[in-house]
Amino acid sequence: MRTHQETPAIEVSGLRQRYGDFEAVRGVSFSVATGELFALLGTNGAGKTTTIEVLEGYRPATEGRVRVLGLDPHRDRRALRPRMGIMLQHGGFLEDLTVAETAAAWAGFAADVNRPAIGDVLELVGLAHKAGTRVRQLSGGQKRRLDLALAVVARPDVLFLDEPTTGMDPEARRDTWEVIGRLRAEGTTVLLTTHYLEEAERLADHLAIMHEGRIHVRGTVDEVVAEAGDRITFRLPGDAPDDPPALAGVPPTVTRAGGRREVSYTLTGGPAAARAHAALRPLLDWAAARGLTLERLEVRRGTLEDVFLRVVGAAPPEATARRPAGVAR
Amino acid sequence: MRADVRHAVRLARLDLKLLGRNQTALVNVVLLPLLMAWMFSRIMPEGATTAGVPAELFVLTGVPGLMLCFAVFVNLVNNFTARREELVLKRLYGGLTSPAAVFGGAALSALLVYLGQVALLAIWIVRVEGGSAPANIPLLLLASVLGAAVITLLAAAFSGITRTAELAQVTVLPVLLVMLVGAPLFVPVAQLPEPLRVPAEVVPITPVVEITRTAFLGADHVGGLGEPLSVAGQWAAALPSLVILLGWLVVAALLARWLFRWDARRG
Repeated sequence: MRTHQETPAIEVSGLRQRYGDFEAVRGVSFSVATGELFALLGTNGAGKTTTIEVLEGYRPATEGRVRVLGLDPHRDRRALRPRMGIMLQHGGFLEDLTVAETAAAWAGFAADVNRPAIGDVLELVGLAHKAGTRVRQLSGGQKRRLDLALAVVARPDVLFLDEPTTGMDPEARRDTWEVIGRLRAEGTTVLLTTHYLEEAERLADHLAIMHEGRIHVRGTVDEVVAEAGDRITFRLPGDAPDDPPALAGVPPTVTRAGGRREVSYTLTGGPAAARAHAALRPLLDWAAARGLTLERLEVRRGTLEDVFLRVVGAAPPEATARRPAGVAR
Repeated sequence: MRADVRHAVRLARLDLKLLGRNQTALVNVVLLPLLMAWMFSRIMPEGATTAGVPAELFVLTGVPGLMLCFAVFVNLVNNFTARREELVLKRLYGGLTSPAAVFGGAALSALLVYLGQVALLAIWIVRVEGGSAPANIPLLLLASVLGAAVITLLAAAFSGITRTAELAQVTVLPVLLVMLVGAPLFVPVAQLPEPLRVPAEVVPITPVVEITRTAFLGADHVGGLGEPLSVAGQWAAALPSLVILLGWLVVAALLARWLFRWDARRG
């Protein structure tokens, strides 16, 4: 299948999934090219897990069409099973086995269907030092690592990761990202769900933001972030004669606080690469004409978080719109 | 197909390893049935005979049916339910193992435990009770394989209506009662009280008990009263019971297909 570059590894069109009279997924379409990493972002209850479970073949689609490697994941399970790797959201271990026994059993399952297992899979996920430990005694993060090991041990063509790093410490998260990167280098197609924005931003070729059963925004990371627009913010002293002008057709948002005025613009029109620069010139001219200083002038690109919060319906308050310290990129 | 067999063998080995690590299950599966066998054989009056054999011997050769209920059935309902709750079944379903391999593995480990107990019982019968070794081992094995398969599928079906592992003790109870009362453990079906004869003919344990007893003793205990039989005669006598077991296999498979669930989440 890797030779058929033009056939997407995963195709979803018009997927709807109902449980009784609750519709968890309400018409979702996307496709993932072979060798690509696609991230499905969303809050809890957005329908990510339901979508991924239909793709994994756990249940047939209520409506719509779903294909993995050109096959129907529910009907063609037998053919597809050896080529998929699945990381569950949690659990699914025989807890009285040791880590090594678990890995060996799953490597054995792979060997039984003539898929050469990754020999040092515990090494790969950083669990080699826990080989003799009963699964029951692992921490939450260690269980996630073991889950990843079982998902990848048979070198799948398509890997499904349902919130792979939830519950992991930063180091484990970085390790997991590295493992995912290595598999991708070998050509594995990856679909992952996450509610960590930086995870999607760092790993994804394409991503989609899901909310209440629908995909609201979709594209490459750059495309999606471009939608957030650029932000220009500054402070004006309270005695400034008038409010600043509209820039590129966007009026300023002015809030008064402690005798000062906080001014902000969100620019979304025009070419993303040049719009901030184009908007700054008239602003600086306006200030120069009045002899004003734009205090704490800041220009920054919109972030994935801005887009995400807009989608899920929360206006980004000034404090959270800024990327928290220590977050990648 | 070959992959399924290999997967089943691998799963069965895991099952046995886990059984060895679970003391509660070990007592329930291995010790309890043997204890019950001993108890049942002791309560028979000294020197009494049933259908032409000493009463203890009659009971002991029927005990495998009991083991199938108490050891195999209860343990499997527990296992299937707990593993569904712990999402092990979900992982297996989404993984490389086919449903056939998962059921095959469960049935295989159950069969191995069961055969181990039957072997212990045979040794006990020869050494302690002064009986003879099983007369027809192939027939005994066939009944064991079919019995284990039927019980595995029934257990799969019952796990489907058992929400949690704690509830398993409750859902298996009616089944155990029916099997216990219905199976011709102490007397042949022909000598059961009239109202019990119909359920006795219907429960899947009866053919297992009757064939096993016939195979052990080399005499007609399938509806008969212990008339000695040639090997060919034993097979002929067992035939109707084998057909009933095959019928149960189909019924149990359909029930399992209908009721069994892989995922603990909403249906």
